[in-house]
Amino acid sequence: MATRIKKFLGSGTLFVWFCGTAVAASVLLVSGVLLLIMINGLGFFWPHALVELTLTDGTRVLGELKGEEVIPHSETTAFPEGKTRVKLKIGNRDLYGLDFRWVDTERVVSADTPTDVIAVERREWGNFYGRIREVRRGGEHVASGNEDGWTALVPLIDHANALHDDVAHLQRDVIGDVNYDIERIRLKLRALALQGQDDPVRIAVLEASLQALERRYQEHVDVLRTLSDRLNEYSVVLIETNGRELSLPVGHIVNALRPNAMGLFEKIGTYFINFWSVLSQEPREANTEGGIFPAIFGTVMMVLIMSVAVVPFGVLAAFYLREYARQGLIVRVIRVAVNNLAGVPSIVFGVFGLGFFVYAVGGTLDTLFYPEALPTPTFGTGGILWASLTLALLTVPVVIVATEEGLSAVPREYREGSLALGATKIESMIRVILPCALPGILTGLILAVARATGEVAPLMLTGVVKLAPALPLDHHFPFIHFERKFMHLGFHIFDVGFQSPNVEAAKPMVYVTTLILVMVVILLNLSAVAIRNHMRKKFRSAAV
Amino acid sequence: MNDADTTNQGERLAPPSPSASSILTPRMVRRWLDHGATGVITIGGWATIFSIFGIFAYLFIEVAPLFYPASWTELIAVRVDAVEGAGQDPRNVSVGIDGYREVGYVLREGNPTFYAFPSGTPMRLASVPNFEHEDVTVTARSPGTPHRYGLGTRTGQVLPFSVDFRVTFENDVRRIEPVVTAGEPFDAVPTGAPIVWLAYRETESGTIAAALDESGRLFLTKIQEAVGGGLFALEREVETLRAEITGEGVEAISVLLLDDPGETLVGGTRDGRLLSWDISTIQRPRGMGVYSVGAPVTALSYLIGDRSIVVGTEQGDVAVWMPQIDPDVGGDPRLQHIRDLTPHAGAVTTISPSLRDKGFLTADATGEVAVHHSTSNQTLIRVPGNGHAVLAATFAPKVDGALVLNDAGRLIHYAVENDYPESTFASLFRPVLYEGYDEPLHVWQSTGGSDAFEPKFGLWPLMFGTLKGTIYAMLLATPLAVLGAIYTAMFMNPNVRAVVKPVVEIMEAFPTVVLGFLAGLWLAPLLETIFPGVVAALIALPLAVTTVCIAWQFLPATMRGPSGNVTELAVFFLILCGTVWVCLQFNRQIEVWFFDSDYTHWLQSTFGLAYDQRNALVIAFAMGMAVIPTIFSISEDSLSNIPRHLIAGSLALGATPWQTLTKLVIISASPGLFSALMIGLGRVVGETMIVLMATGNTPVLDMNLFNGFRTLSANIAVEMPEAPHGGTLYRLLFLAGLLLFVFTSIVNTIAEVIRQRLRTRYSQF
Repeated sequence: MATRIKKFLGSGTLFVWFCGTAVAASVLLVSGVLLLIMINGLGFFWPHALVELTLTDGTRVLGELKGEEVIPHSETTAFPEGKTRVKLKIGNRDLYGLDFRWVDTERVVSADTPTDVIAVERREWGNFYGRIREVRRGGEHVASGNEDGWTALVPLIDHANALHDDVAHLQRDVIGDVNYDIERIRLKLRALALQGQDDPVRIAVLEASLQALERRYQEHVDVLRTLSDRLNEYSVVLIETNGRELSLPVGHIVNALRPNAMGLFEKIGTYFINFWSVLSQEPREANTEGGIFPAIFGTVMMVLIMSVAVVPFGVLAAFYLREYARQGLIVRVIRVAVNNLAGVPSIVFGVFGLGFFVYAVGGTLDTLFYPEALPTPTFGTGGILWASLTLALLTVPVVIVATEEGLSAVPREYREGSLALGATKIESMIRVILPCALPGILTGLILAVARATGEVAPLMLTGVVKLAPALPLDHHFPFIHFERKFMHLGFHIFDVGFQSPNVEAAKPMVYVTTLILVMVVILLNLSAVAIRNHMRKKFRSAAV
Repeated sequence: MNDADTTNQGERLAPPSPSASSILTPRMVRRWLDHGATGVITIGGWATIFSIFGIFAYLFIEVAPLFYPASWTELIAVRVDAVEGAGQDPRNVSVGIDGYREVGYVLREGNPTFYAFPSGTPMRLASVPNFEHEDVTVTARSPGTPHRYGLGTRTGQVLPFSVDFRVTFENDVRRIEPVVTAGEPFDAVPTGAPIVWLAYRETESGTIAAALDESGRLFLTKIQEAVGGGLFALEREVETLRAEITGEGVEAISVLLLDDPGETLVGGTRDGRLLSWDISTIQRPRGMGVYSVGAPVTALSYLIGDRSIVVGTEQGDVAVWMPQIDPDVGGDPRLQHIRDLTPHAGAVTTISPSLRDKGFLTADATGEVAVHHSTSNQTLIRVPGNGHAVLAATFAPKVDGALVLNDAGRLIHYAVENDYPESTFASLFRPVLYEGYDEPLHVWQSTGGSDAFEPKFGLWPLMFGTLKGTIYAMLLATPLAVLGAIYTAMFMNPNVRAVVKPVVEIMEAFPTVVLGFLAGLWLAPLLETIFPGVVAALIALPLAVTTVCIAWQFLPATMRGPSGNVTELAVFFLILCGTVWVCLQFNRQIEVWFFDSDYTHWLQSTFGLAYDQRNALVIAFAMGMAVIPTIFSISEDSLSNIPRHLIAGSLALGATPWQTLTKLVIISASPGLFSALMIGLGRVVGETMIVLMATGNTPVLDMNLFNGFRTLSANIAVEMPEAPHGGTLYRLLFLAGLLLFVFTSIVNTIAEVIRQRLRTRYSQF
């Protein structure tokens, strides 16, 4: 027996098993995190059933069931397992003051899912769960009762949403344009004063157009007021499950559903509509509700600007290192330096970007080109250009390394053949080597984009904000506004998850953002891997 | 060689023509293009590479000013006739300057004379208040509120006197006009004897004067506004409170000092002692102790915040005293002598505290002027004396200049460059005795509520936090990643490996903000509820693996299949999931059985460890997740890159797989494994978002696994957006960035050099 034990220990099988368990643990951790994000993120769009609980004291609780747990330290002899309680998302934040409620299971008399309850998504105060008492137009009565009210309400909501779009268009686009022009004329006047020019004709012309713009502004505001009045024309009186009433203008409703009355296909349809609306809408209520369109837009835009900056430099450096420089100590030192740069913490790049791009370069640009706006900084504060350049620095090693790898995979015969046929070096580089190395460059770019998409820390110092007033791309000349601050998916996660007043209610939004971010990053990486594998295979066969 | 080739080819492509000497033959164009392209690529390559080093250089340039010495330039010396000649009484002279350093004044025996700077020409005032000033004996400055004075007279009265600078703008040109006002005189010495020393302070609650008369009697007076009067109109009534302070040492007092809320009076004596009284109730001053200084006290001043007292003596010593409560005795705070600064050559005549920081200016009887900083315990500037005693000196309100008057009748205006007095190597990396603390400590607390806050720039707690996070994360990640890599590279079926490796590597691209969010909002609260189960799982897991492994050996070989196949991997998953599941099921029971029904309480009472929800354990999991793929991937590469024929040879010579692994593979791959750990370390050290989101970000010095910490990187993310551009904090955060940069560079360079060497070694086989 003793020898068998000795043999067993000596064979190292046990150690191998520990190694195997470590692999299992690593794989489990990775897949577990992915699964967690998928479940929480994908579940967000599903129209959840509403449960109505009747309690022992006769009151009722209506909401989405969010979980069940054993009450800590509740074990008694009667309940050796401990008592349980359920968590409900009860909505109606303006009436109850809280979003979630724990209900002890022993207090529940009955639980139903009545088909007549409605879930109203509102522009403020989160969701409302309850029933309709009455629909009104001003003081007049239009429909009463839950069923008639519902029939009357549905078209009204569509109408109100269309109206709401008009209002938003007027506010943001039309009035925004007027404001933009007013600000530009003000700056022009200020610039004239700074330059010491007092040409009375020019000043008079500018001031006249300023007055004209202000009149236009006033007209638009009047139109806006009438539209807003129409938005609030209809209102609905809602009752929550215990009978408390709430009057709500229809203009405040985004969407109303009867989730318990919906069939599976209807739910699936709603699922995709919800998914799309998150992707395409503006955020509401301090980013905790609504959509994440500006964050997606900002992320994409930043990554594009970064790509434009990073590719030429990374490719040039790689070509230099691989094709032009004499291989020796210096090139080796440079390679180490490039690899070092890849290992430098991203926050250090943020610090550098803030000090160099924002304050040094941006501050100089401001004094040279935008003195009329000072002391309000134009480029001397964080902006999408500086964030993109900072990330370009951060990702340039990725592009260099991938391009070098691409170049080293090009068989030597290609170069020699090209040169032997009389091409100059640059000709063979552009016509022969570059096309062959293109997949490598593309891999590098995709990896760089994937890394940049997920980085947050350097952005926090160089121009990302929780809520940007305007997108960095619009119809005003010069269309791309490099100096504007922007929103970003990764920062959105940090901000909504950690800086919002009601973290628990904001969690679903964070999971959704996380899901989208992770999907984008993983897809990018997978495509980079696919391209690289394809490239390797191609050249392996070419080299034979 | 290339050139020759191209020349030949080019000739064939473009046959020589009569115009061969013309500039635009295609051959030459192509050659130029080639040369040009070579130039562009070389320049571009070098530019990219220079920018990499440029980052380091830029960080360094931003940090360097922190350690520049302060500088001091004499701008102009103005002749002040009235104070020429020796034997002037420094007690009856004061100087002041406005915030823009454009108007300065000398106030001597109640007579202000103004000078415009930078020219130094005397100014005439539009109106000077009319008051009798021939008999002013003492000019006392009210500390903390600039340009407020109490003038003590021969008849025992105090005359409040103030200078205001009215700033007006005409066509964007600044004009500063001094305005002098005199208040209502009040009796400070009831006997009417001449005042020989006066401490005067205008505070929120009223005006306080402590006056010492010719005969050595000390009187305390407080003028405060009391609300009272009629039913309908609230009339303001002035109330005067008085007391005489008696006791041992009073007659020897040479200097007096009042603090801002008007609660403490401190006196320095000719026989080298400090006396202190609690005067929060004016009518009943209470002695708070007598302290020995060792030499006659000639100057006293509070630093901003009215806690630290600077004591100057006849021998030129400059010391800082602070009230501290003795932790052993308790009770009232007692003054403690806590640090000495570079002494002067002669008796200290005047001390002027900075209105911005814990710095101060001192001057002596030989004319030497010095600038010190209390917190960083350094003397920043010393201007050697010229033999003429300094009568009065003051810092400019923005601490960018100073005005000094000596008994040769010279009023000297200096410019001072002293932007970073708080930072020395010692104040950043050594424990410092801060105001309100009992002992020197490492503290990071960069900003406080008021101007009087003493910034605490101890970088050690942040470095400690960085180390703590790194150590715990690496403790979790290293075994998992390295053992996993060994199994994947050596034992796993290649088909399984082709799936497992990419799955783990995908994680490398995972945004850390996502891991931080999951760690902070999902894992931390979850771990708090299932902590006993997790602890049990960590202990039970090795036991379970061992048991199942032994049992597995008894199964017939046909059922087991070859080592490393899917069945075996499935068993590992089963053990893992099963153990964790069972432990979590018995979470509550485990807590009851082993942790006294309440593990937080149990940890506190057994080990004295507090459990915070966002703690280092959570970080270890999250940061471990972030680096497992990195370490795993590089280790796996270095293990599987060992030439196959070496392993085959070892096995062929009769070594068991285990012997091959321990004696050959691990040893050959150890440099690769080491460099994998180094690269992982570099990643953990600088990780920002996870730490920012999943720790409490409190800069504590405590290795406790169950509380939070603050790292250098998270600190940058938290404080950089608020740090004023170019200030001390801004540059210190750059220093934190530089430290991270240097550390990760060293670690990565080591790893990279090892990897390159390894590559050349294996390429020999």
